[in-house]
Amino acid sequence: MSIRNLELRARTVVEGFWHGLHRSPYHGFSVEFTEYRPYTPGDDPRYLDWKLAGRTDRYFIKKFEDETNLRCHLLVDLSRSMTFGSTGYSKADYSRTLAATLAWFLAQQGDATGLLTFDGAMREYLPARHRPGHLRQLMLALEKPAEGRSTDLTAPLRRIVELVRKRGMIVLISDLLAPIDRLASALGLLTASGHEVIIFQVLDPAELNFDFQTAARFEDLETGRDVFLEPAQARANYVRRFSAHLEALRETCQGLGILHVQVSSTHPLETVLFDFLKARADRGKVIRRRAAMT
Amino acid sequence: MSFLAPLFALGALAVVGPILFHLIRRTTREKTPFSTLMFLEPSPPRVTKRSRLENVGLLLLRCLVLALLALAFARPFLERVLPGPPPGTGQRIVILADTSASMRRETLWADARAKIEARLGAANPQDEIALLAFDREVRTVMSFEEWKKTPPNERASAAVQRLASVTPSWNATRLDAALLQSIEALDQADESLQDKREIVLVSDMQEGAQLDGLQGYQWPRGISVSVDPVSAKARENAAMQWLSESEENDKPGEEVPLRVRVTNAAESKREQFQLRWQGAPAGTPAIEAYVPAGQARIVRITKPPTGATALTLSGDDTPFDNTLYILPPQPAQLPVLFIGADADEDTHASLYYLRRAFPKTAHQNVEMLVHRGEGAVPAYQLQQAQLVVLGDGSADAPVASARQFARDGKIVVVPLTSAASGNVLGKLLELPSLATPEATVKDYALLAQIDFRHPLFAPFADPRFSDFAKIHWWKYRRLDTAALAGSQTLAQFDSGDPAVVQVPLGKGSVIVFTSSWRPVDSQLALSSKFVPLLQALLEQSSNLPPQKAQYFVGDEVPLPRSSQPLAVTKPDHREVPIATDAKFSDADQPGIYTVSPGTQRFVVNLSPEESRLAPFSAERLLALAVPLRTTHETPVETARREGRAQAVEIENQQKLWRWLIVAALAVLLLETLFAGKLSRTVSGSTTAST
Repeated sequence: MSIRNLELRARTVVEGFWHGLHRSPYHGFSVEFTEYRPYTPGDDPRYLDWKLAGRTDRYFIKKFEDETNLRCHLLVDLSRSMTFGSTGYSKADYSRTLAATLAWFLAQQGDATGLLTFDGAMREYLPARHRPGHLRQLMLALEKPAEGRSTDLTAPLRRIVELVRKRGMIVLISDLLAPIDRLASALGLLTASGHEVIIFQVLDPAELNFDFQTAARFEDLETGRDVFLEPAQARANYVRRFSAHLEALRETCQGLGILHVQVSSTHPLETVLFDFLKARADRGKVIRRRAAMT
Repeated sequence: MSFLAPLFALGALAVVGPILFHLIRRTTREKTPFSTLMFLEPSPPRVTKRSRLENVGLLLLRCLVLALLALAFARPFLERVLPGPPPGTGQRIVILADTSASMRRETLWADARAKIEARLGAANPQDEIALLAFDREVRTVMSFEEWKKTPPNERASAAVQRLASVTPSWNATRLDAALLQSIEALDQADESLQDKREIVLVSDMQEGAQLDGLQGYQWPRGISVSVDPVSAKARENAAMQWLSESEENDKPGEEVPLRVRVTNAAESKREQFQLRWQGAPAGTPAIEAYVPAGQARIVRITKPPTGATALTLSGDDTPFDNTLYILPPQPAQLPVLFIGADADEDTHASLYYLRRAFPKTAHQNVEMLVHRGEGAVPAYQLQQAQLVVLGDGSADAPVASARQFARDGKIVVVPLTSAASGNVLGKLLELPSLATPEATVKDYALLAQIDFRHPLFAPFADPRFSDFAKIHWWKYRRLDTAALAGSQTLAQFDSGDPAVVQVPLGKGSVIVFTSSWRPVDSQLALSSKFVPLLQALLEQSSNLPPQKAQYFVGDEVPLPRSSQPLAVTKPDHREVPIATDAKFSDADQPGIYTVSPGTQRFVVNLSPEESRLAPFSAERLLALAVPLRTTHETPVETARREGRAQAVEIENQQKLWRWLIVAALAVLLLETLFAGKLSRTVSGSTTAST
């Protein structure tokens, strides 16, 4: 987080990751998938692979090439609650870097990456593309400060469902500090439209442990409401309720088939990236196994 | 220890502030932002024992600062007995009795006397009292020395006896002068009585009293003024004032209306007044004057009936100022005698211009007497004439008459119209050898040096009027002033020859013009300087004092110079002899005064200020920094006041508050250092914990 430039920060993480990746036992994994199918009359000739036809004199349809390329949308929550940070940088900073890292990583693989930042409403939207300059645009959009106060997941998620017609991957980076029922209905929207959803729940260590020492008036960053609290007194109750919330969220995600990754804002990004890929690979296996079983 | 302002000590209650802040500081000050309060439940603010103990030193310091400040403002002092005056010492008191004309109303003077007598009766044997009466001037009824000389048991009665002979005058009220003179009298007090000096003012405190003299006056310490007012029942008063004629009405022959200003008091309820001439035939209608309350109107009165000199006003409740004396202005008769052979209508001669130089005005009537014969001037003409002009060709006898005229104290003017005129001048001054040869003038001569300090040229002294260079003198005669004993050159030509010379002769003098105002000699007669110059000559010769239409009671009246002893008959028919050339300063009542011998009369009226009867408020005196004291002070109040004065004195000597402020500042410094250290410690520990 000591590197000011977001792009540089993302690149540092990804390059370090690549170096590590070569030594990784999971070498060779890619989200890329290509399939050729013999041409049958009635197929759209636009999808004929003319190069292959020229070389082999056989007609193959590259029909799924487009789909098999990953279209990933990064949904980054920049609401007021994300500005909290007890570690010298905020959750929003961490989320931006994480989003930038993912975008860079995906771009390296040639995948199309889109971005949607939001707080109470949708802020920035960039459709998923893979073209020169797009990554830079994405970085700029990420760096724009958000002004809204509250988090409302429903509206941005509904909007992304409207905007992204083609199925793809949606990565939601948020602290998900909202009532669980509202979260569930919003996330349900995404899965219902066939997207693969991954959630990075970014949390500050202080949110996890509530390790404040002095009694003070605690101000809700989103609503502005404040209450007087004696941390020693409130801690146990907080931890209990917060854990319950996380547990409920985890169950909801599991029920909806969403990959939920809880990230502390002190975690190194490389680890997060690695966990993400690993979880996805495992999940791929599970899905494939399920498909095989059926 | 006592306090001068104990109420300020209540400020010490402000220590509650820091205590409260220390108790509730943690709930109000620090705000910690947190991402969500979803999982938190408010816990009530608890003042833990630890938090109170933590800053108890700071709290004590802050409380101490406030307490010290409150104590300093309460002005503490350590009580001790001041070396005060020994008990039983008296006071030095001046009793000022107002005897102005307004005290003539109703029973004001009797009331005032009763108050003064009561005051004298209540005097201690140690008291020193002087009794002064004042109006326009201050008169000592009984001085401090006389008081001290009188045996103590007879003092009051002696003063009362002397007071019985005092009556209100017709004079205006000069309160400022009276107060200043009282201070002067009090200033000669002994050391022991320095702080016990008092002026007791018994007056009707009328608005018209003059107080301007007290403006900016620094009152000496230890003198107080107590006012014992007397008041009249009647509030309604209207007054008259005769206004002098304005310059526009300065036309001869026309009937000039008299202007009388009628003023109505602000409290008055009546608005209609009647003005009547005293001694007017019965049935003569009164002059009605409508004057709303608090305003003034000018009433024009055309002509008084023959013999009437006083106008009376009726319709108000206060009669003392209801008579106004009026003498319509009479033009002064000032004949000028011309001796010479000039024909009346000869435009080349001096007389023609002389006749036209003295127009008839409302103030003066100049009759031109001409003596052409060779015989002596008739005695009656010489007696009447105020100025003699000696023309060409005068014979010996008239010249001798003119000489006598000058010796009696008047002025003879000799314009030298030719070289031969020197003979006439020689005869007049009895210098037969005097020659006045014709001077050689190239083109023209100008007046170069003029003595503007001389009364003759004094009217031209202003730079706006002092330009004589426009007058060209074609011819003039040279006069050897060395031959004229005591002569004074009043003006010179640019050649250095004298133009106007004054030669003393007996009591009077001869003014010689070495040229003349005839057109062949100069442009003087045609210039704007001619009339004022001759007027100045006439005024100087006749030596008439400037006449005022009216004087006020107490004014000095200038009287004409006379060789005979004069006497002035006052309105009450008493005759006051006047030394020659003196002024009449005994105008002590309103009315018509007659100067004898002769028929000159003058009017003395009541000062209009004296008719402003509304009592003025004490604020007016306070605004002039007069140290007023209420007269109705009980012994308890006096003791309290004196006790307080003593406390102020002791506190002023000790000035403990300064030390308290210094201590408060020191504690404040300590508190700042302590708080700074504390906050550093706290922030250090916070950083460490996060």
